[in-house]
Amino acid sequence: MSRAMDGGRAVVRRPDVPLRALLPLGLFFLLALVFPFLPLGERSEYLLQIAFFTLVAGVLALSWDILARSGQVSLAHAAFYGLGAYGFALLGKVMPWFLAMPAAALIAGLISLILGAVTMRLSGMYFAIATLAFTEVVRTIIQNLPEATAGGANGLLVPALLGGNARAQYFLAFGILLFTALVSLAIRRSRLHHAFAAIRQGEETARVLGVSVVKYKLLAFFISSFLAALGGVLYAGKTFFINPLETFSLANSIAPLTTSIFGGLYTTLGPILGATVLRVAEEILHNSIKNGYLVVYGLVLMLSILWLPRGLMGLLRRGKHGGDV
Amino acid sequence: MTAVGVQPSAVGRGDVVLRADGLSKRFGGLLAVQNVSFSQYDGEILAVIGPNGAGKTTLLNLLSGVYRPSSGRLHLLGRDVTQEPMEARCHAGLGRAFQIVRPFPEMTVHENVTVGALFGTRGTTLGQARERAYDLLERTGLAAHADKEAHELTLLQDKRLEVARALATQPRVLLLDEVMAGLRPGEAQEAVGLVRSVRDSGVSVLFIEHIMPVVRDLADRVVVMDQGQVLAEGTYHEVTANPQVVAAYLGTEEGLHA
Repeated sequence: MSRAMDGGRAVVRRPDVPLRALLPLGLFFLLALVFPFLPLGERSEYLLQIAFFTLVAGVLALSWDILARSGQVSLAHAAFYGLGAYGFALLGKVMPWFLAMPAAALIAGLISLILGAVTMRLSGMYFAIATLAFTEVVRTIIQNLPEATAGGANGLLVPALLGGNARAQYFLAFGILLFTALVSLAIRRSRLHHAFAAIRQGEETARVLGVSVVKYKLLAFFISSFLAALGGVLYAGKTFFINPLETFSLANSIAPLTTSIFGGLYTTLGPILGATVLRVAEEILHNSIKNGYLVVYGLVLMLSILWLPRGLMGLLRRGKHGGDV
Repeated sequence: MTAVGVQPSAVGRGDVVLRADGLSKRFGGLLAVQNVSFSQYDGEILAVIGPNGAGKTTLLNLLSGVYRPSSGRLHLLGRDVTQEPMEARCHAGLGRAFQIVRPFPEMTVHENVTVGALFGTRGTTLGQARERAYDLLERTGLAAHADKEAHELTLLQDKRLEVARALATQPRVLLLDEVMAGLRPGEAQEAVGLVRSVRDSGVSVLFIEHIMPVVRDLADRVVVMDQGQVLAEGTYHEVTANPQVVAAYLGTEEGLHA
């Protein structure tokens, strides 16, 4: 009711993303920035590693969410994550890391356009299955590349990012998550947000209203896969050994989906928050319940999805719509 | 019947804005639309009527681009758009409001209309689109509901939203698919007023309608379809006096006026 009061032209002028909505997001990045400087004690190395992979999980989830905003619920995220990892491993041999990183992401982005074009007319379950099959195709191709260059099924050594300096690696991951968040916010404030939302909520209606569905769906694929590949680069450069089975695993496609749903779909903060809470929870459960921690983890996830239909963001924001970041 | 207030012969014989030449659509063995030709003139309100199953909705889907015709051509503002997809027809000046309202459910009323304004005409910025969307909400009496979600609206308001969103794309021709369906008589009168104001703003209107008094009040010219073909064409009084048309509507005068 109160919203009707501030009606009139104010509706037109109101910013897409009010500043106060950005506060929790800023707080998150502030905490993430100072985290390595906290007195973490003797477990600091372990904690920094957890934090690193939390940032990577955030990149993966948020990039997945950007694609989902256009109505494309993909199970191919492992493919682009893996293409980033393998692209970086191979290109890193012939160029410096700061060039190999964007080059690998660009390649993944371009390959995603193929998938996007093929699945253009599919939706729902058919789309999901096609993206799943695509991941298998990519994995098989990588696995069957000449073993001398790509390592085959056994895997491949990757030059360690930033000489293996854990703190520097952490800040690189921080920078990439920040970049991903800025891209997400820029989309939220642009015509892309309206195009994605319209396609998601009624593709045919969107077309009747002049939305170039093909263009925007492919754009969503490119942005999402480019960012996911950056996450793959971080993974490869941190673990310095990758193999097809782990890199292209189904878990890497499912995790960003569950994380985004748990955190809050179609938002910037939601997937990041979801990644943080789930990674920390997983770690705590892993350390306290040695056997069967995954059962408890799955239960917690299931119940929270049941009770929090809009994820963690639903708790943060009781409003019905608008201003979600 | 002076509701229209203009002699049909004097109405809108300007430029042709929409021209169908021998449009046909076949679904397997069924010829849903068969060799349909007509012209719509600038500023004209054209009604397409006919019994259930006459092919009216299929024809509308052919015009808006949901289907490609099996044969025939379609010209919009002199341009052949037969093979153009929906979004290109929208950019070329064709708007459409659906019979069953299809608001974007997770958007506010204002955001719904903003989508039409933003993508319907090339080169529109987000700021311009928001302004134009609000102007249209004022014009269609929805400004007070700008911040509501579409599902909070009444059916009449939903239909207004459907029209506002289509108008936001700045069409030269607006296709309306039974917009009066489900409205109470009083509401239908309001909707009739809305359609007239749309025409008066320079948009030609083609509408499908079942409710004959609405057709009588609104249409400058009527195309009658039966079994996928054009049965008759003319003013409301001409076509309702046509024995073939009367026969098509259950063979009784009552059928026509029901």
